[in-house]
Amino acid sequence: MKKILFLPVLLFFFFSSCEKVVEIDVPSIPPKLIIDASFEVHFDENPITANTVVKLRLSADYFEETIPTVINATVFLTDKTNNNVINFTDNNADGDYEPVNAFIPADNTDYELTVIYDNETYKGTATKIKSTPFTSVTQGDKTLFSGNETELEIAFKDDISVDNYYLFDLTNNIFLAIEDRFFNGADYNFSYFYDEEDLKVPTAVKIKMSGITKEYFTYFRVLIDQSGQNAGGPFETVPSSLLGNMINTTNEANFPLGYFHISETDTFTIFLEDKN
Amino acid sequence: MLQSKKLLFILLFITSIAFGQEKVTLSGSVYDDASNETLIGVSIYFPELNSGTTTNEYGFYSITIPKGNYKIQVSYLGFTSIVETVNLTKKTTKNFKLKEEAESLDEIIIETDIEKLNVRTPQMSVNKLSAATIKQIPVVLGEADIIKSLILLPGVTSAGEGASGFNVRGGAADQNLILLDESIVFNSSHVFGFFSVFNPDVIKDVKLYKGGIPARFGGRLSSVLDIYQKEGNSKEFKVIGGIGLVSSRLLVEGPIEKEKSSFVVAGRSSYAHLFLPLFDNENTAYFYDLNSKVNYRFNEKNNLFLSTYFGKDIFGISDSFVNTYGNTVVNLRWNHLFSDKLFSNLSLIYSDYFYGLTLDFVGFEWDSGITNFNLKYDFKHYLNEKLKLSYGINNIYIKFNPGEIIPNRDDSGIQPEKLIDKYANEFAAYIEAEHKLSDKLTLQYGVRFSNFTRLGQDELNIYANNQPVIYNQQFKKYEEAEPVGTENFSRSDVLASFNNFEPRVSMSYLLSDDASIKLSYNRMAQYLHLLSNTASPTPLDVWTPSGRYIKPQLLDQFAAGYFKSIKGGDYSLETEVFYKDIQNRIDYINGANLIANNEIETVILNGQARAYGLEVLFKKNEGDFKGWIAYTLSRSEQQTLGRTPNEPGINQGRWYNTPFDKTHDLSINTSYELSKKWKFNANFLFQTGQPTNYPVGQYEIQGLNVPIFDDNRRNADRLPAYHRLDISATLTPEKNKNRKWQGEWVFGIYNLYGRQNAASINFSQNRETLRNEAIQTSIFGIVPSVTYNFKF
Repeated sequence: MKKILFLPVLLFFFFSSCEKVVEIDVPSIPPKLIIDASFEVHFDENPITANTVVKLRLSADYFEETIPTVINATVFLTDKTNNNVINFTDNNADGDYEPVNAFIPADNTDYELTVIYDNETYKGTATKIKSTPFTSVTQGDKTLFSGNETELEIAFKDDISVDNYYLFDLTNNIFLAIEDRFFNGADYNFSYFYDEEDLKVPTAVKIKMSGITKEYFTYFRVLIDQSGQNAGGPFETVPSSLLGNMINTTNEANFPLGYFHISETDTFTIFLEDKN
Repeated sequence: MLQSKKLLFILLFITSIAFGQEKVTLSGSVYDDASNETLIGVSIYFPELNSGTTTNEYGFYSITIPKGNYKIQVSYLGFTSIVETVNLTKKTTKNFKLKEEAESLDEIIIETDIEKLNVRTPQMSVNKLSAATIKQIPVVLGEADIIKSLILLPGVTSAGEGASGFNVRGGAADQNLILLDESIVFNSSHVFGFFSVFNPDVIKDVKLYKGGIPARFGGRLSSVLDIYQKEGNSKEFKVIGGIGLVSSRLLVEGPIEKEKSSFVVAGRSSYAHLFLPLFDNENTAYFYDLNSKVNYRFNEKNNLFLSTYFGKDIFGISDSFVNTYGNTVVNLRWNHLFSDKLFSNLSLIYSDYFYGLTLDFVGFEWDSGITNFNLKYDFKHYLNEKLKLSYGINNIYIKFNPGEIIPNRDDSGIQPEKLIDKYANEFAAYIEAEHKLSDKLTLQYGVRFSNFTRLGQDELNIYANNQPVIYNQQFKKYEEAEPVGTENFSRSDVLASFNNFEPRVSMSYLLSDDASIKLSYNRMAQYLHLLSNTASPTPLDVWTPSGRYIKPQLLDQFAAGYFKSIKGGDYSLETEVFYKDIQNRIDYINGANLIANNEIETVILNGQARAYGLEVLFKKNEGDFKGWIAYTLSRSEQQTLGRTPNEPGINQGRWYNTPFDKTHDLSINTSYELSKKWKFNANFLFQTGQPTNYPVGQYEIQGLNVPIFDDNRRNADRLPAYHRLDISATLTPEKNKNRKWQGEWVFGIYNLYGRQNAASINFSQNRETLRNEAIQTSIFGIVPSVTYNFKF
């Protein structure tokens, strides 16, 4: 919502602004553990599959070209209903930990993720969030500012009984986080316009729509802002540290970054033509 | 405290009226001879008595002196002084008509009114600019601009090019009270801040109070920008206009009934959009202003004014995106003289600000705004030559529309939602005396009482423990509390009420005929808050009232200054130091969403702010070469403590820079009159870069590269220093001399040496190289411009 309302602000850059890359000395902090564990349950597939990778990395100085991976951690998941433990392992030694035996997160079940790294234990909890499938994903003919955008029309039916939050992964690291506050229970449709720099057409794109928690929605909204997808300027909001839902139970002050979240996700692959 | 203040007041009052001597009152108005326009701030001076007064906002003056035969001197900058002898034996009414200096010397160019210094009055921390000065200051794209000109004065800065609003003495943009003919203007910018909403042609007088703010003003903490529009020429029809690169202006003024009533209508519009269809472009982007004023002089004692302002900005991208915003102001005023000593003005004012947005591709329309009705009754009581009283009342009823979302087409799927409207009433009463205690010492003292009542609204959220914001110990962050219920009220219920006494005191002590020291203290209360967590306000920011969860902002400001006029006013030096302390300055929790937020109290943290600094202004007022150097050294900080020892607040509870903290701020403005034909102007500005936040690291989530920002060093980094040089040349063709049509060309170059000043530095990953980059955005490079101004 906020992102959409801020669109007019982008307009002002049309006038005569000029951008250039500059050298800046940035401050630095000791590396922090990054836990990127966004599980997706592909509920609309038959059979149902799941993406349950836990990516462990270390933060790096801003202009470092590589982000260090964490390969010697212990990772496991605990099903809080029965205390069963699901062990994860980093088979390729690339910091991506996968369950030893593939599993599908169940409904209404709390899972606790535990990461032990460098003698410190990190924990976080998540429960699968329901979503809804796409009604349709089509390519539109309209454009927005430059006249060279590609329009993607997305439609779905929102569940009226609960407050829903959605995260759209529109490929090329383009994300959109929305809430159903203004369309609760509706057959909702909206358009997204790919900038020509963000997406070269013709191409096939894979779109994902996930149901997410309110907290993850807030987190991701700020994440999108801070990743630089929204242009800055005098109207840029004050950036702030972005804490997720994992905590360091050994040493509180050395808090990790990242998030543990489980969503239901629908995917759709569409071929986008060059209509301009 | 209050009791002793009252006592002091009464004492001073009594001592001053105790001198019983046969006295007479001289009163009247001062006009511009050419247009019959009243003149504000004209000095009426009796050299033999070493006593005098100035005309008020409506050109009226009154002075009571012992009977006798005196020399009287009536002087105003840019006008030829009148010196004559008056024999005062009884109550006398005397109007003066001043001739413009330039005209009386048979010249055509209007003299620059470099504003002279008044060392005698206790009023300090005030800057004046005349319309003529404003028009000659080189500005971007040649659009003469009040606010961009103010930034050249000490203590005034802005967040940069394309940033709306301005900051006075380290205060926020929402702490400026902007008055156009006494009406509150909520948004002072066009095109997101590139231009200000004031058409320079229609402006008569601009005054900026930065401190020692008189008791008749209130409601904002940092400054008062008091702008008066012209009344119109009541002698003859005149047309003034200008054609610029961005906008064109046209003003028509004239008598309705000669020397009795007049009108002025002025319009200004940008016109780039008119050419867009030629390029088969469906987009549109323009702004316009329409000012008008009518006045009717019933007799010497009664004068009626009706003035309006209507301005709008419109941006449209075909039909899929339309953005509209603007101010409307309507104002009816009645000047009445109860006696030759008692002047009154009754104002009835309507003012609103509207923001609207249509986003067709999302399927909705969004409206928000603020509306207010204001009734004011102000009196100026000229008791005797030693004591002048001002008193009055002011009542403002305010309606806030925080936003409404409406589906814009049948198939949009968006459901309408109305954020709860808020209502408030702000009442104030004030009394203030300007009191000449001796030839050397003059005091101005008074008090303003303000009451703010938050009126009943449809639903007010209730929170557990009355805490709309909770601190999550586990995840170490502030979170929005869920309301536990709502309360319903009728419009006449009182949700919250605040009372404040705001004392205002200033004094001047004459060290010699041309040097003085001045001291001032003022307390101000501000009940409205602009919700904005960006470096400068945006048009879609909404105002919110104080109430159960948000407290009014309170300011205490102390200022001291040394003022000197050198070589009979050819040069002047003003130096001031100030200290400001602000309670209840709000800040926001991390990740706060301020737009369309019906529970705004759940993202607000309460803090405090302070600012202090030194200002120096050196001016050369006379000669072919004129100008000023303004330098400010200051600091502006904010602190948001945790509410309990377990909470960190913002920045670990330590002081942090406000986004508008500028350590050094230097402006130089010069003008040089080479000949009758050519006149040159130049500006140089240097400012410390504005505070910003650099990332302390990076990581990836879902493939998205994210910078890490450290909450413990908020606003600790700085953009590179801002500096630029602008020049302009004004050409007045000689053939003008003997004809009615008078024209002039203004050629300008903004940012002469093409400095790429950083408006912002953003950190993001390059999509192609996948490397992290710091990208600096600069708004204007070198910008040439040409403007043609005319009048006939």
